Amino acid sequence: MRFIKSSLLFLLGLTILASCKKEDPLNVDDVSGLGGDTWVKTPLDQWLYDTLVVPYNIATKYKWDQSELDLNKDIVPPDESKVIPVMSSVERVWIDPYILQAGELFFKKYSPKLFVLAGSANWNLDGSITLGTAEGGRKIVLYLLNDFKNKSMPGYVPADSAIPKQMFHVIHHEFGHILDQNIRRPTAFDEVCKGLYTADWINTNDYAARQDGFISAYAESSPFEDFVEQISIMLIEGKSGFDNIVNSITGTSIRGTTADQAKARLRQKESIVVDYYKQAWSIDFYALQSRVRTAIVNEIY
Amino acid sequence: MNLKDFYWKLTSVFFFFAVFVFSSCKKDETRVFDQTPDTRINDALTAYGSALTSSATGWNATIKTGTGGIYHFHFRFNESNRVFMYADINLETATTEKESSYRLKALQTPALIFDTYSYLHILSDPDGSVNGGTNGQGLISDFEFAFDSLATDSILLTGRQNGTKLTLVKATQQDFDAWQNGAWANVLAFENINSIQNYFKRVNIGGVNYDLKVDPVARTIVFTWVDGSGNIQQFVTAYNYSATGVVFVSPFDTGSQTINGFEIVSWNAGSFTLSIKVNGTQATIAGATQPLKVDLGAPQRWWQYAINNGGLYWISLNGFHVNGVEDGFGIRTLPNYYYLIYWPDYNAGNNDLFAPVFINAAGNGLELLYGAAPGTPQFTGDGRAIFTLLGNYGTYPSTGPAALTRTQLLIPQGYYFIQTGPTTYDMVSALDAKAWISWQF
Repeated sequence: MRFIKSSLLFLLGLTILASCKKEDPLNVDDVSGLGGDTWVKTPLDQWLYDTLVVPYNIATKYKWDQSELDLNKDIVPPDESKVIPVMSSVERVWIDPYILQAGELFFKKYSPKLFVLAGSANWNLDGSITLGTAEGGRKIVLYLLNDFKNKSMPGYVPADSAIPKQMFHVIHHEFGHILDQNIRRPTAFDEVCKGLYTADWINTNDYAARQDGFISAYAESSPFEDFVEQISIMLIEGKSGFDNIVNSITGTSIRGTTADQAKARLRQKESIVVDYYKQAWSIDFYALQSRVRTAIVNEIY
Repeated sequence: MNLKDFYWKLTSVFFFFAVFVFSSCKKDETRVFDQTPDTRINDALTAYGSALTSSATGWNATIKTGTGGIYHFHFRFNESNRVFMYADINLETATTEKESSYRLKALQTPALIFDTYSYLHILSDPDGSVNGGTNGQGLISDFEFAFDSLATDSILLTGRQNGTKLTLVKATQQDFDAWQNGAWANVLAFENINSIQNYFKRVNIGGVNYDLKVDPVARTIVFTWVDGSGNIQQFVTAYNYSATGVVFVSPFDTGSQTINGFEIVSWNAGSFTLSIKVNGTQATIAGATQPLKVDLGAPQRWWQYAINNGGLYWISLNGFHVNGVEDGFGIRTLPNYYYLIYWPDYNAGNNDLFAPVFINAAGNGLELLYGAAPGTPQFTGDGRAIFTLLGNYGTYPSTGPAALTRTQLLIPQGYYFIQTGPTTYDMVSALDAKAWISWQF
């Protein structure tokens, strides 16, 4: 057995001697693309840098990078001429109101840091389209830039308002998620429509959802979405717009909710949201709402 | 030494040998390639980049989309990641040079990315209304390509998403000029053929009349003619453009000559005629008011088909095409409009039903609000169907798209029927062939 022991020792020595020196790990090649994509900067790049990167550290990716989007979808990049109009609208409708109401520090701390822009919509297999997505409180993807028009652009007709409005909805929706993820919404919110949340929301419409006390069909999908749909629609429609939505509810829903119950639920959710903004973030929601709505009116009406 | 010791020693020797072999390494690596992968990909990107920017007069590019259409482009790349292009997609893309951006990137293989929207992206746009393709995929094309090969005068690339092939061939000054001075825009005047207001677009080639049906989205032409024995014949070919005219993908052998394409001379917007040259001989494509050969039995066949197949009805999504305008009466602008129907023998033995159908208020079904009740059509000996009104269901509007549509149906000259498929017919005004409607079952 001693022989085996000495053999093992010898083996160890042999392995050490026979192993060779690996290359110096610091001596690496010039790896292509390491450090990100590069291109010759244009005035557009400079504008994005000055307007969004320097003050808020928000990057805007408008050049095609498929890894930021659904790999199995046919999507196209935006037309360069649409980037500044869209991002300056975003600034007026989302950044400015929050900064004026909640302060720069709040905004810089919680704002998502990356916007990815796409020219077309993201078409789903069922023929519907996705107009915006967000990931991890960090990245927001805006679609359909090539069809974006606001009031200041030539050839604007009222029907064009649908696309920018949807875009603002997406941003306020996603930012609502970020707030909710940082300071959780009150549990009382989830109780308001308990038992009515359904994965089948896709087969309903806003009208029917409102009869059950949801602000939109998508709000029916879960309390998470309900909460931020409530926030975003209240913000983009403004106080009177929201009141109109609530007051327009009539009849009894398929699931037996009366119009009065539905209205009461929406009002209850409204007060929870207002209270949440006050308690959690010291933001006067109604003041913020009027700033956002005014900005949207200036933008598209 | 007993046998056991010997056995151990022998095993150990083998074992050491094995360890030595496995733990040793080769100090001077000889690579299959003389450079590292990173160096090689950087070299490749540099080589492709300088090739692209090397041609001051740009590149002639050809792409074949997944739907089969062939499109031509002219690209000029500069060293600041900018690309300037023309394309033979439509009049605007053939006339105005558009600037956008591109970059080269190592995406497993060296890749060329047209990274902001350009004419090339029109083909890939998933919005079917942009390019006439299917929603969600457009014409199935690409704007992100892997380099396949690089020669002095040509570069071959393959799309990374849909696998479309893109060929770049170095352009001459003459090629570039053809775009700049509008030769390609002139050729695209061919698509004006569909602005001819008559249903029938006719050209006489070598003494024979041909009706042309051009689909500018799928880029196909259908030739219809009457042969020597009086039978209707058809020939279908895909087409694309060159700087001088239309090129047929399948040459058309008429029996007396082989036609490889049309040379486009000019479009006359006043008379709605297109001047072309066929193998050097002048010809004119113009509207015609009657089919080359009337399908005498078609009207009755159309009417009877619905009755024989469940007593159902024909539908039309867009209503009447009138004087060059699709949905000329704006029937689709009616609130909740779904489609227009013609229901033969709706009230058995008495009358038919002609009406727009609407989506109901709940959004989960269809409803009729009103309708016209024509009698059984009069089928004439010369192959027309004439509709006369017996009455109405509900309160039929007296003005607006529905009223105009009903008035059109009732023109005293009636309609010719052209069968376009097993269950599709075009119903063409016998007055002047400037109004028609497409029925499907």
